[in-house]
Amino acid sequence: MVRLPVANILARKVRTCISVLAIGVGVALFLVLVGLTSMLREIADRTVNVDAHMMVWPASDQVVLSGGLPAEKVERHLEEIAGVEHAVPVLRWPLKMAGRVQNVYAIRPEDWSFFAGPDRIVEGRALGGGSEMVIDTRLARAGDYRLGQTVERWGRRLTIVGIATEGVAGRVFMPIETVSRTMNQDRLRASFFYVRLANAADVGPVREEIESRGLRVITFDEYYDVLAASFVDMDLVIGAVVFVAGFVCFLVILLTVYTMVVERTREIGILKAIGASRLQVFGLILAEAGLICAGGILTGFLLTWGSRALVLNFQPLWTVNIPAVRFAYAAALAAVGTGLGAVHPAMRAAGQDPVDSLRYE
Amino acid sequence: METILEARGLTKTYRSDGVETPAVRGVDLVLRGGEFVSIMGPSGRGKSTLLYLLGLLARPTGGTVVLAGTDTRRIGDSERTRLRRRHIGFVFQQFNLLPTLSAEENVTLALRLRRRPAGDLAREILAAVGLEGKRRRKPSELSVGEQQRVAIARALVTRPPVLLADEPTGNLDSEASERVLDLVGRFHAESGQAVVLITHNEKVAERAERIVRMHDGRLMGD
Repeated sequence: MVRLPVANILARKVRTCISVLAIGVGVALFLVLVGLTSMLREIADRTVNVDAHMMVWPASDQVVLSGGLPAEKVERHLEEIAGVEHAVPVLRWPLKMAGRVQNVYAIRPEDWSFFAGPDRIVEGRALGGGSEMVIDTRLARAGDYRLGQTVERWGRRLTIVGIATEGVAGRVFMPIETVSRTMNQDRLRASFFYVRLANAADVGPVREEIESRGLRVITFDEYYDVLAASFVDMDLVIGAVVFVAGFVCFLVILLTVYTMVVERTREIGILKAIGASRLQVFGLILAEAGLICAGGILTGFLLTWGSRALVLNFQPLWTVNIPAVRFAYAAALAAVGTGLGAVHPAMRAAGQDPVDSLRYE
Repeated sequence: METILEARGLTKTYRSDGVETPAVRGVDLVLRGGEFVSIMGPSGRGKSTLLYLLGLLARPTGGTVVLAGTDTRRIGDSERTRLRRRHIGFVFQQFNLLPTLSAEENVTLALRLRRRPAGDLAREILAAVGLEGKRRRKPSELSVGEQQRVAIARALVTRPPVLLADEPTGNLDSEASERVLDLVGRFHAESGQAVVLITHNEKVAERAERIVRMHDGRLMGD
């Protein structure tokens, strides 16, 4: 009985290909666009990949606009708090590299071990002072940067002295004093601090104390949610993408199967005349839709693979993360859309009067 | 011989835009097992409609069909389908083969719809109708006579007790017609199945053991 749906699909190759492609596009749309949202997770994961427990930020945007918190003073105040082992200032500043603006992590060279131990350096060495920078392997690949290469920015010649593995907090590390001087700051300032506790269980009380001093605390556990909340429409975008992808599959199948049923009215009459039951006719129509869906899902997977490669080729610093389970979700989405689109025409076919169908021209 | 198919006061009236068109009017017909009956009459006078009613493809407006002892008046669609599958084989004027399947697949389909294993049955019956060498061809690659022979093979592969043939030679030339009629006659003689053959052609009708004439939806007797 499988032969008939297969033969019918092959008899209309162009239409079948278009339907398969449309479903494939729906599947790929879902996988790639939702995969792109993983960039946020990648940023969050890197940001908290530090030997600390929380981040301390200015409570007011005014402080941010003025260049940041006074690094030494705030560091001293934080380290006075019971339970705080170490406070590490970080000054973030934009720098264009590999065609995109990167957030430079300006730190004290002696704080390097919080961000990456010696085993994270794959070439060269850790950060020293002066006009030095350490970049990660991904940025090195994207911009074709090499160890020892100099980059001219801010009127300075900056030298790449080390390349660290991908996954460290920043893609670019520079000495905080160098960046501070470049910004003409009156004194060392920090965009935020990483705070390491003597005991991770003390997060609550330490947070309370810090916040009572007019600062904002974000623990590592809540960082992703805080980041995602700043992209308010992310859930909307994901929801819209899921809806559009599913709706595309539904519409394509509805139109395709409806056209198939109308075109094959006479054939349905023949099937009934030679003994097909309503259920068998219904099943045959659904089987055809199912085959198109299966083809569409496979095509979608291929399109996803190709699209991902294309995106990363042109934007190597983007992240398109697609875990295996999401392929299953995409397949399920396509199957549900297909099922919903095929049911009505299949029921119509099953209910057709055989005599009227046989007389249909 | 036992009655295999019976029409009792069978009536079919079509209604469209408030206009009623009677196609079959109070037909009584008894078909015994192994009998070969021709229903003759001019075109458009209800013969095909009568055939569809006898084959349980259409529901009558009045009267009933009794098939293999079952009064079909009150049974549902599923039961009608089951009865049709078990007892009826159809041959149509337009052959009605599925164009995307080969000759063999068209014949096999009739078995698969009944969840019967196809085995070699399809090949055997295609050989019996002289088409074993063309079993892999699609209907578009066969002559009209060959297509009709495939249709006959499809109708007979399930060994139905009743064969209903609606103008089986209507679209064929004389040579092909003779061949098709010979086949029907041969299968009838060999398997003892009952045949109802609709035709407007006197010569074709004479192949049957009994001719019943139909005019304006009524049977005029033998």
